[in-house]
Amino acid sequence: MNTSSARLPLLILGGALLLALGPLVLPPFYVRVGQLMLYSAGLGVAWAILGGFAGYGSFGHAAFIGVGAFTAGLVENQFPTLAPALLLLLGLAAGAGACAVISALVAYPILRLRGTFFAIAMLGVCHVCAEVNNNVDFFQGSMGINFAPIAPASMDPAVFFYWLYLAASTIVLLIAWAIWRSRFGAGLLSIREDEDTARMLGVPTERYKRQAFVISAVLTGLLGVIYAHALGYITTDSVYRDDTNLSLIVFSLLGGMGTLFGPVIGAFLLVFVTQVILGRLLDFHLFATGLLLVLLVLMAPGGVIGLVRGWRLRRRSEMVPAE
Amino acid sequence: MNLVVQTLVDGLVLGGIYALAAVGFSLIFGVLHVINLSHGILVLIGAYLALVCSQAVGVDPLLTMPIVMAVLFVAGYAYQRLLIQRAVDRSPFGSMLLTFGVALMLQNIMIWVFSPDMKNITPSYAFASFRIAGVTFDAVRVSALAASLVLLSCLALLLKFSPLGRVIRATAQQTLAAQLCGVNVRHVYALTFAVSAAFAGAAGIVIGIILPFSPADESLWTLNAFVVVVLGGVGSPAGALLGGLLLGVVNTLTAQYVGPSFPNVTMFLLLVLLLLVRPNGLLGNAFSASR
Repeated sequence: MNTSSARLPLLILGGALLLALGPLVLPPFYVRVGQLMLYSAGLGVAWAILGGFAGYGSFGHAAFIGVGAFTAGLVENQFPTLAPALLLLLGLAAGAGACAVISALVAYPILRLRGTFFAIAMLGVCHVCAEVNNNVDFFQGSMGINFAPIAPASMDPAVFFYWLYLAASTIVLLIAWAIWRSRFGAGLLSIREDEDTARMLGVPTERYKRQAFVISAVLTGLLGVIYAHALGYITTDSVYRDDTNLSLIVFSLLGGMGTLFGPVIGAFLLVFVTQVILGRLLDFHLFATGLLLVLLVLMAPGGVIGLVRGWRLRRRSEMVPAE
Repeated sequence: MNLVVQTLVDGLVLGGIYALAAVGFSLIFGVLHVINLSHGILVLIGAYLALVCSQAVGVDPLLTMPIVMAVLFVAGYAYQRLLIQRAVDRSPFGSMLLTFGVALMLQNIMIWVFSPDMKNITPSYAFASFRIAGVTFDAVRVSALAASLVLLSCLALLLKFSPLGRVIRATAQQTLAAQLCGVNVRHVYALTFAVSAAFAGAAGIVIGIILPFSPADESLWTLNAFVVVVLGGVGSPAGALLGGLLLGVVNTLTAQYVGPSFPNVTMFLLLVLLLLVRPNGLLGNAFSASR
């Protein structure tokens, strides 16, 4: 376990390098699909730091995409003369800062709730952020915000953002891996398994939960900032999206809840299915997504990783016959 | 002064309807510990059924209530037995996602059948109103409120005095003990769901009379039900009524005095505040189910 998990970052970096070759061989449509896959995978992993590891599944993480994106936009527009790279860095810093502050404030009341109560209360947080953003003129939510183009002139923006998403998502995955194998990560897992017992045994559950919440929110916000730049123009409706809220849960569920690579597998699969296979059937979209959810819950509650593990266990028990 | 009273009256009327729309959600949550995200869809199915029935036969929409409730009772029983029961004892996400998936599918079907446009049911007395001491009462809203209160009282009596109600309460308190006393828990779960679905359908009719509705509204009604339940407390019609009235009054007061686009903000701020001060809901024990 230890040796193989110590090799994981090499595996992650190798996989990222392989994926980086994507835009050189793929047609433009698939570069766009790849963008969405990488963005979704990053979001899924960021969500899973709280939802998968600690078992606090949030139904409102799009709030942090929105907060990050709008803060970045408002701050960046104050400095129209900066170089593109600096502008992006400034936006990332501002977005991350706003997400950190808001999530730290929200964490106190919200983390007193558990299970489904927490999930729906987060949906409430998301709706409140969206409405305030939309109705207070200062935030320009209903008018929308423009982002200066940051891709170098010599480069196709689609390819540029593909690489940017890839880099960001790889970093998120590495952070998740570092948390996963740390004492902090073990504490989060113990909260998921039995919070009251964990607290009794001396795990600082309240502090761990808050930290996981803030880390998850900040990483989500960072991806949101990149997303806003890729869109170029955002309104409230384009970042605070309920289908994002849902997808984040589905990624983990589809890949394997509480695993490191589950959300990545889930995001790749779901984006492929909805964009490539169902891309032409817009009238059918809600129905197909709903059907997928129902089948998933009924047939494969452990996700893809759960299926593979069950299959391996069965094979092993066949190879060693009981005497 | 008149404006304040008028706003309060409007809020109470709206609140009665919120309470009716939430009571089924509360019952399912209290007994099955399932967050039914397809609750809003059940409400809308009631509204559309009433629309179809009252147009086909030409009767008052409130008179279609027995048919709508019967249809949803049967559908709710089947839905629980065939789908939800399989996810009840899995992770808390399981049943939530299952019901969400069903909600998406049904919403898509509704869009195919009824189009995504706003619809409303207009009874013959749609524009009648009367005044008492300077406060206006719409006939429609008053009859909607009366229907809500009657139905909520019926449910309360059913739970309190009938054998079915006793079995449902026993299952909610101690599932294992109820099982040991010979209660068929799966059957009770399904019956609870059926009753909830029937009341959701009835709420749909009442909503259809006073407000326009479209397939996209389902998440709104699910969310409202959740807020009402958290405010009032889980599993009792009285809690739902209290939570509903509170929500209705807060909504109209905010829309009147803060701004028409802010009811959701105040609603959730109130929710968070209440969770800090009184995490069990105003009546009953909202959070035992979440531990």
